[in-house]
Amino acid sequence: MQLLAYLDPGSGSMLLQVLLGGVAGVAVAIKMFGKRVWRLLAFWRRGRDESLQDAPGPPVTEGKRSSPSAKPQKEPI
Amino acid sequence: MATSEYQVSGVERDPGSFRDRDSRVLVGSDAVYRLLSERGAEDWNRLASSRLFEAFIADGTLVSTEEASNGIADPEASRALGQPVRAVLRHERVPFVSYPYEWTFGMLREAALLQLDLLLAALEEDFSLKDATPYNVQWRGSKPVFIDIGSFEPLREGEPWAGYRQFCMLFLYPLMLQAYRGIAFQPIARGSIDGIAPTDAARILRGRDRFRRGVLSHVHLHARMERRYGERDGAEVKRDLRRANFKAELIKTNVTRLRRLVARLNWRAGDTAWTGYREANTYTDADTDRKAAFVRAAVAERRPALVWDMGCNDGAYAKAAVESGAGYVVAFDLDHATVEVLYRALREAGNTQILPLVLDLADPSPGLGWRGMERRPIEGRGRPDLALALALIHHLSITANVPLAEILDWLRSLDRAVVLEFPTREDPMVQRLLSGKGQGSNSDYELETFERLLGERFSIRRREPLPSGTRILYHLHPA
Repeated sequence: MQLLAYLDPGSGSMLLQVLLGGVAGVAVAIKMFGKRVWRLLAFWRRGRDESLQDAPGPPVTEGKRSSPSAKPQKEPI
Repeated sequence: MATSEYQVSGVERDPGSFRDRDSRVLVGSDAVYRLLSERGAEDWNRLASSRLFEAFIADGTLVSTEEASNGIADPEASRALGQPVRAVLRHERVPFVSYPYEWTFGMLREAALLQLDLLLAALEEDFSLKDATPYNVQWRGSKPVFIDIGSFEPLREGEPWAGYRQFCMLFLYPLMLQAYRGIAFQPIARGSIDGIAPTDAARILRGRDRFRRGVLSHVHLHARMERRYGERDGAEVKRDLRRANFKAELIKTNVTRLRRLVARLNWRAGDTAWTGYREANTYTDADTDRKAAFVRAAVAERRPALVWDMGCNDGAYAKAAVESGAGYVVAFDLDHATVEVLYRALREAGNTQILPLVLDLADPSPGLGWRGMERRPIEGRGRPDLALALALIHHLSITANVPLAEILDWLRSLDRAVVLEFPTREDPMVQRLLSGKGQGSNSDYELETFERLLGERFSIRRREPLPSGTRILYHLHPA
């Protein structure tokens, strides 16, 4: 019998649980995602590295991006 | 077994119980009944014989539950399930139903931890929880109680935790918003019955927030996975996961980590205009003592089962009411930080008779969800036998600009006794509230007008001017 859950667990959310498991999930992750797993983990690691660099430094300022105020302002209507 | 053997009398369908097709709740005056389908009954039988069930019933974590074997009345009620009823459970009624958008940060976190602890304990005995919603948690005072027995189901090997996404949307993201950004979660929770979607959470928790604990994985990676794989067929994903040898151990690892994350989320309920209100304001000790005595006398007279302390601040009068014999007090205030401080104090004391809630009387919780009935408005969840309106009416009348007559009409509509404090126009606090307004504003806010309006609606049992000279207490009964 196909048991139906009343709550949609979300396919992305189910798959994420494999990646969150860290070492415990590695074997499953490789089977599920193959090489793509490294790309997904790279996303995560990139964030971590940034956070390490970032932690002792000054706050990230919006100036890093193209500043919206630099754009010509529209005249108020 | 024939359906008609299971009948429950004098009950109404709970309009908020329909999402789970194997379990449906009916509400009676003294108890709550749960109708179970064949599958629901199977799950229940397994749960009832587990150690987990015994332990959590014993310590009050689970709502008290027994099988109503003789069944009961009203075929109409039995039809509520929409399939043959195979078992009926009888639960205690919690003293007052409340919703997550009325809780404080600390309450939502406590409910989240309860949900995760139950799941961890369930996994140890090869059970799982089919959902993860704060609406499955209610309160006995400051103690959370899990009410959805129908949520337990046998663990299906190879499947991930179905409630993870819901947990994020209804527990984790609101907590993160409050802890990391100081954004009040209640208006958002009230605005969306299913919570905050991962993609929306990712838009809010950005920039430096990405490096806060748990944000990258549970929010950003989650949103990314959802964008990438959200369209994939769920059954197919489950099959693939089973083939890849997904084990319940992985759920345990994840939930244990998630629990650690949630336990470390903190919100410093900072000082607001309302915390420390009593000290900072004009109340003389003599006034405070007289008010407490007045409340005690009103409570002792009738020993009300349910009291509302409206605008409770630090809960001093809610406590006085309980000490004088009130059964249960729902203490609410519009200021989150103030209620959080009260909740922490009540929790510290192990209080089970005062329920602290965040609620603005000028904008109280409405009916929400399907047909606007899935979550009920505050008044639809049990009217008080006594309402305390101490140091409240000037805020409603002057700050929220509700005409005095309307406020009194509403109080009268509760049709119960009221203890009310009226600060006169000369009162320093009233003067302060009026100071930002134009001259002659709120002209109805005068003692003479107030007492005339009062007399048209209530009989005044007792009237007592306070020693400060600018405040008067009234004990009112509906006229």
